[in-house]
Amino acid sequence: MNAIDTAIRAAAASITVKDLTKAYDPQTVVIPPMDVELKAGEFTVVLGPSGCGKSTLLQMIAGLERVSSGKILIGTREVQDLEPKHRGCAMVFQNYALYPHMTVFENMAYSLKVSGTPKAERAERVAAVAKMLGLADYLHRKPGQLSGGQRQRVAIGRAIVREPAVLLFDEPLSNLDAQLRHDMRVELADLHRRIGATTVFVTHDQVEAMTLADRILILNKGRIEQFDTPKAIYHNPASVFVAKFIGAPPMNILPVTGDGAALRLADGQVVANASLTGTYQLGIRPEDIVLDGKTEGHAVKAALRFREDLGSHSVLAADLGGSTVRIATPFGADIADRLELDLNFPTSRLHLFDAATGRAIPGAFGAQ
Amino acid sequence: MIENARSLNIAASVILLAGMLYILGPLYLTLATASQSYEFLLRNGLAWYPGDQFFNNAARIFTETRIPIQMLNSLAVAFSLAIATCILSFLSAYAIVYFRIRWAGVAFALILATIMLPVDIRVITTYQVASNVFSPVNALLDVTGLNGLIAKAFGAPVQLELSVLNTHFGLIAPLVAHGTGTFLFRQFFLTLPKDLFKAARMDGAGPVRFMFDILLPLSRTSFAALFVLTFLSGWIQYLWPLVASSTPDMQTAVVGLARLLPDSDGEVPDFPMIMAGAVIVSLVPLLMIALLQRYLVQGLVLSEK
Repeated sequence: MNAIDTAIRAAAASITVKDLTKAYDPQTVVIPPMDVELKAGEFTVVLGPSGCGKSTLLQMIAGLERVSSGKILIGTREVQDLEPKHRGCAMVFQNYALYPHMTVFENMAYSLKVSGTPKAERAERVAAVAKMLGLADYLHRKPGQLSGGQRQRVAIGRAIVREPAVLLFDEPLSNLDAQLRHDMRVELADLHRRIGATTVFVTHDQVEAMTLADRILILNKGRIEQFDTPKAIYHNPASVFVAKFIGAPPMNILPVTGDGAALRLADGQVVANASLTGTYQLGIRPEDIVLDGKTEGHAVKAALRFREDLGSHSVLAADLGGSTVRIATPFGADIADRLELDLNFPTSRLHLFDAATGRAIPGAFGAQ
Repeated sequence: MIENARSLNIAASVILLAGMLYILGPLYLTLATASQSYEFLLRNGLAWYPGDQFFNNAARIFTETRIPIQMLNSLAVAFSLAIATCILSFLSAYAIVYFRIRWAGVAFALILATIMLPVDIRVITTYQVASNVFSPVNALLDVTGLNGLIAKAFGAPVQLELSVLNTHFGLIAPLVAHGTGTFLFRQFFLTLPKDLFKAARMDGAGPVRFMFDILLPLSRTSFAALFVLTFLSGWIQYLWPLVASSTPDMQTAVVGLARLLPDSDGEVPDFPMIMAGAVIVSLVPLLMIALLQRYLVQGLVLSEK
């Protein structure tokens, strides 16, 4: 661990958002009142579909967008009315936004130059960051002479050379090709492990969210759907939205009706015992459905529609009471010429959601 | 589409040749005439072949006419025009592209409208304003009735007067009001990554710092292109310098050249000397293009490299 790591770890601050709202005019509310606290040193991924307000949230933390009302605290300091440079945030942009006419060194040193850091210290800090990011040999090149991955690293270097209290990423990997995106993901995770900066990372890619995050903040139309660890989000989604957003293929959601003793599908088949009445939405992950096996749950019959062999596993799509269910099975499961599948839904793997609000109903089938 | 037919090749060559003749013919005649003597012209009429009197004619331009001082005027006008246009265009485009101004669209439309209203069209009103730059103020005071009140209170209405005719400022200012440069810079700024401004803000650079540290260096080639174009247009201006300047010492070289024609009828103009003058006057813009043509092309294709 060198000096710059220690400095960033020491600078890392929590972010507290209180009653934050953003509206361009009374009709277009981007973010309704939001309260959330991101811990110091934590890697938070803000995940959501496009237009959910995640970039707006990030830009409000950065100071590039004004807040309509509410407070943002970095550490214990209220920053919502401060200029970006006084907030101690640094940002990595989607298209890198490097200064094309400056060398890599000048790009990384620019913020230090603006803040009046002495020349010798500038050179020292840039050298330390460049070494950490493997850019030492490229300091005299211009961004135009670098590859996409290298440019991304320069953008990260430019952000961390200031030893920011908060490091913000705005979909930084979406311009890279698949292989490079994977490599950069690993590098980012490694970097965060080493420098421990408070990080907010905005993306619409669930793989990035699941692999990078300490905690994931899922936004839908400006509202927080769930804020939890990747594991909790995957295994205990708080709403239908989260259940369908996370996982590939996503969780199956089936409409069910309770008659006081059992939950029935639209075609009358019983999927679970529960003393519930009314309509609900039942969720089960494709990999949790058991094909041909016996579990403590109920067995149902479904009509096979098609199968996709993906190498590591196969995904079957079947028709069950008018809805499509997807089942993940080991690759090459022997189902070649069967039109009807015997499915088993393990009760411990079932999720129940309110039909109207889409919120999860915990403990519907006993402890989960 | 590339055609290899022989007949097409011949046709293309003929058209090209005709075009070259159209452009180079007058140029040749200018050079040929400029190198003959006045006596030769009187004896033979049009000079179809060059002679050996060019330096004589050129020397007479410097000794017998005001072209040298008028070239200095032209230089001052073209140079100031180019500088002023570059600075104003850059600033206005910066404001339009990078700041959230409600009426930015309207402002930009108005600026573009100036392209459709060159000085040649509004020469009479421009002359009126130039002869008294306060005439709009006076007119406004008259129309609103304020002048009536002032006349009652102080005994006389306000009639401000300041003429900029026959000054360098008067020659330049009306030509600066032209939107091409703003358009050029705006288009260039729009090709830059839009997060650049935000990145600079995150780095602690305010709007002024961003302009000087980031935008200005990136706009170098656009500046060069606009500078050359405006310089050339300033150098070859005819109508406005003709009406805005009345003494030979304030006129520009192009106006001066035209004035070399004798005023009285029946006299044969000294075409060899006039053509030599035309050649000399053309040297400056020629030099300009030769030196800056690289930037001209780069700046106009609007890509940052």
